[in-house]
Amino acid sequence: MKTMRWSRISPQAALIPAVAVTLVAFVGSILWTLYLSFTRSRRLPEYDIDWSEWGRQYDRLFKDAGWEISLRNLIILGLGSALAIVFGFILAAMIDKEKRGESLFRTVFLYPLAVSLIVTGAAWRWILNPTLGAQAFLRGLGWEVDFNWLAQPDTAMYAIILASVWQSAGFYMALMLAGLKGINSEIWSAAKLDGVPLWRLYLEIVIPMMKFTFITCAILLSLGVIKAYDVVVAMTNGGPGQSTWVPAYFTINALSAKSNLGYASAAAVMMLIITLIVFLPLVALTAWQQRKGAPR
Amino acid sequence: MSQMSASERAAGATEVPVARAPYFVRKKKGISPQSIAIIVFLSMCALFFCIPLYVVVVTSFKSMDQIREGAIFALPQIWTLDAWDHAWNKACSGINCHGLKVGFWNSVMILFPSLILSIALSMVTGYALALWNVRWAGAFLFLLFICAFVPFQIIMYPLIVMTSSMKVYGTIWGVAIVHAVLAMPVLTLIFRNYYKDIPQEIMSAAVMDSGSFWKIFFEIILPMSGNILIVILILQITSIWNDYLIGVTFGGLNGQPMTVNLANLVTISTGTTNYAHNMAAALLTAIPPLVVYFVVGKLFVQGVTAGAIKG
Amino acid sequence: MPTVSFEHIVKSYGSMTVLNDLNLSVDDGDFLVLLGPSGCGKTTLLNLLAGLLEVSDGRIMIGDRDVTDLDPKDRGLAMVFQSYALYPTKTVHGNLKFGLSASKLPRDEIEKRIAWAARLLQIEPLLNRKPGQLSGGQRQRVAIGRALVKNVGVFLFDEPLSNLDAKLRTEMRLEIKKLHDELKSTIVYVTHDQIEAMTMATRIAVMDGGVIQQFGTPDEIYERPANLFVAGFIGSPAMNLREATLNVSNDRITAQLASGVVLDLEGYDFAETPRNGTKVIVGLRPEHFGAPDVREAKAAATFTLPVQYTERTGSDATVYLKLDNQLLALRVAPDAASRLKPGTSVSVDFLSGKANLFDAQTGRRM
Repeated sequence: MKTMRWSRISPQAALIPAVAVTLVAFVGSILWTLYLSFTRSRRLPEYDIDWSEWGRQYDRLFKDAGWEISLRNLIILGLGSALAIVFGFILAAMIDKEKRGESLFRTVFLYPLAVSLIVTGAAWRWILNPTLGAQAFLRGLGWEVDFNWLAQPDTAMYAIILASVWQSAGFYMALMLAGLKGINSEIWSAAKLDGVPLWRLYLEIVIPMMKFTFITCAILLSLGVIKAYDVVVAMTNGGPGQSTWVPAYFTINALSAKSNLGYASAAAVMMLIITLIVFLPLVALTAWQQRKGAPR
Repeated sequence: MSQMSASERAAGATEVPVARAPYFVRKKKGISPQSIAIIVFLSMCALFFCIPLYVVVVTSFKSMDQIREGAIFALPQIWTLDAWDHAWNKACSGINCHGLKVGFWNSVMILFPSLILSIALSMVTGYALALWNVRWAGAFLFLLFICAFVPFQIIMYPLIVMTSSMKVYGTIWGVAIVHAVLAMPVLTLIFRNYYKDIPQEIMSAAVMDSGSFWKIFFEIILPMSGNILIVILILQITSIWNDYLIGVTFGGLNGQPMTVNLANLVTISTGTTNYAHNMAAALLTAIPPLVVYFVVGKLFVQGVTAGAIKG
Repeated sequence: MPTVSFEHIVKSYGSMTVLNDLNLSVDDGDFLVLLGPSGCGKTTLLNLLAGLLEVSDGRIMIGDRDVTDLDPKDRGLAMVFQSYALYPTKTVHGNLKFGLSASKLPRDEIEKRIAWAARLLQIEPLLNRKPGQLSGGQRQRVAIGRALVKNVGVFLFDEPLSNLDAKLRTEMRLEIKKLHDELKSTIVYVTHDQIEAMTMATRIAVMDGGVIQQFGTPDEIYERPANLFVAGFIGSPAMNLREATLNVSNDRITAQLASGVVLDLEGYDFAETPRNGTKVIVGLRPEHFGAPDVREAKAAATFTLPVQYTERTGSDATVYLKLDNQLLALRVAPDAASRLKPGTSVSVDFLSGKANLFDAQTGRRM
């Protein structure tokens, strides 16, 4: 249209690196992986697609017991980690109610977040050690407890959940605390005047008012669970057997241990789809709620 | 992040009416049973949160003989730094037994280039998207938003191929570059949201005064970015330092960060595991981010929440 | 000192057209005020001139240069913003200096100009402070200083006084006026405040709905409003507007108000002789009434009406009379106002030759 002005060109030029990174490292890479998932690539990539059975990697994946375990563990981990939100909310509500020691408690509850999940895993692995750890200590006190979670396939996930909740509860507490502070202070005074019991106030007024915060937490939690990898490596390294595999672990295992590129790509695509399934409805819901809330 | 500070201001405001009614304050001075219950509960939770740190610290100072006694919560009978020395100088990661110091220096060498790369790239991008008229900015922001949530596994193999062809795969540079690439979408969104709050008139004035994209950036915008820069720095320092997956995938044998060394140490169970060594190694790995956290905790909270709530 | 002209300007956002075929030309050295209610397009017009927005169609000329496609910095303009838009991290000196960053001047020339502007605006002691340490009035001066150092022929002001308190606003008004007299530059000044417009402008363009309703000197705008919008917008208290019917006989034209009062229009300068029975709107300025209960020598009409209430502002007062269930405002001396009790009847004359007439259908001045 009009003559190009330098002021219009330079910001666009400055965006070139970011656009290039986005298009190559993200969009291009996703498409690449998607393509590979239809091929028979093993150690090295093959770029021929056998159209008669282009979905062979996916067929195999859905029949793979390891993948099934991974998906089941994903759900278990998601439900278990949701405790972190509940726990985070309880902590936040208490800290917010009782202002004394707020900064101290906040500091204590949040420090696990500053630590690598590998460190977290190593620490909990040691505490849960059956012969020398907390179990031995408690038995020494005469309590017949069974803390040998890590060694048993049906309880190993609980250990991972414990470590994840310990690590992330403070984070959700911080988000909830921010949400609680955003609530108009007059509501507390009004409730006091009306004589509403505290638990009803929380249940019927505060929690519904914080639904945006809860949704945010739920999205972040789901995304975190799908990405969970470090904590599994540090706690159990997938074991015993395949009992603590999760999709992230399955995918990387398929690529590095099994050297099966096509298979790993199919698993990665499934991870992306799971992310989208979790992510898009929640985003749509928040967008819808924001629009609904906007006219007010 | 701006929400946070706004709500904190609101919280400060709530205290004013109480302070203005002295008789009310006097009445409240004694601790009510409810408050005691809450504080006791919170203290117990705090204790639970501190247990792992306590256990790691005391174990790292114990001798293996004491550890075998099984009293995990007991204080060391003899405080010894042997485990620390071993972890730092002699611990094995794979076949190399030069201790965690190798990984520590790798982590440091990874940290600085990836900090500079990721922050420079996303800062300029956020600035251009927020304050300059770019026709397709909305679409690009949406794309970045999606990219911020993409699981790493789906771009992992292509990134390996790309870094190999750039001859940086298996080096600390490879790790640093991948960190910068992966952090770019999130950081750009954070910077963009921050810059969006700069008054339009200041930008208009700068455009009329100078009109130069870079001059305005360096002279006006960069000096105004102090707060967000610190928050982002903390966010990035902790997340780069604590990363395992990128380090183990792109570090090869020579570019492994400290977390990878630690993971190798604690997961590979050849012979008897020396828990004192493991815990000293874990603590060594955890100390740098913990120092950052305890020194600038409040900004850390802002950082992680800003990293979480974007868009 | 250049002229500024807008030629057939169109500005639209998507399907919404804000300005449509707008033409306006300011002479060299004029102080043009773009006046209008918020959303009338005045700020859009200013931003188009500044280059902060792009025209959809049309041409903007400064002097004999077509600046339509130039970058803001290349247009030879300086602008003062409503919020001052000072760079918070720079000192006052740094702010003024950055104002010159587009011009490739030698260092000593830059310093000379900064010193000159600082002296002119009496901000010399503030040069090393940051904007955060300045008061509103001082920030305003710095903002003006940042525009002055550029030594350009055209200055743009975007509601620069609206963030100041009333006293400072009056002071700065005079000061800007003084600057204009000294520098003889062309100024385009956007405001919604008619006092600012009337006191400072040499030319006013009254805008509404993206259209220039009237362009003229302050006196023209005030005395001969071109249409009902301008008539109602300019003047405080606003002009009294009443429906009436024209009565044209051979030598006399009168307007009969709905209440029956007959207004003698002798001396009214009709653009063309009106027809008998035309529906019109009569505009009567509150200050064009005589003193209460005093007969004027040359009166166009006499109103005898009950007092509704009076408003006193100190230096003068407004009396509201009840006329056909509406209010008729008239300005009186404060002591006269104090004698008027609500409910009592008062008789006032409207001065001859002061009425404004508008076509009831088109709203245009007759």
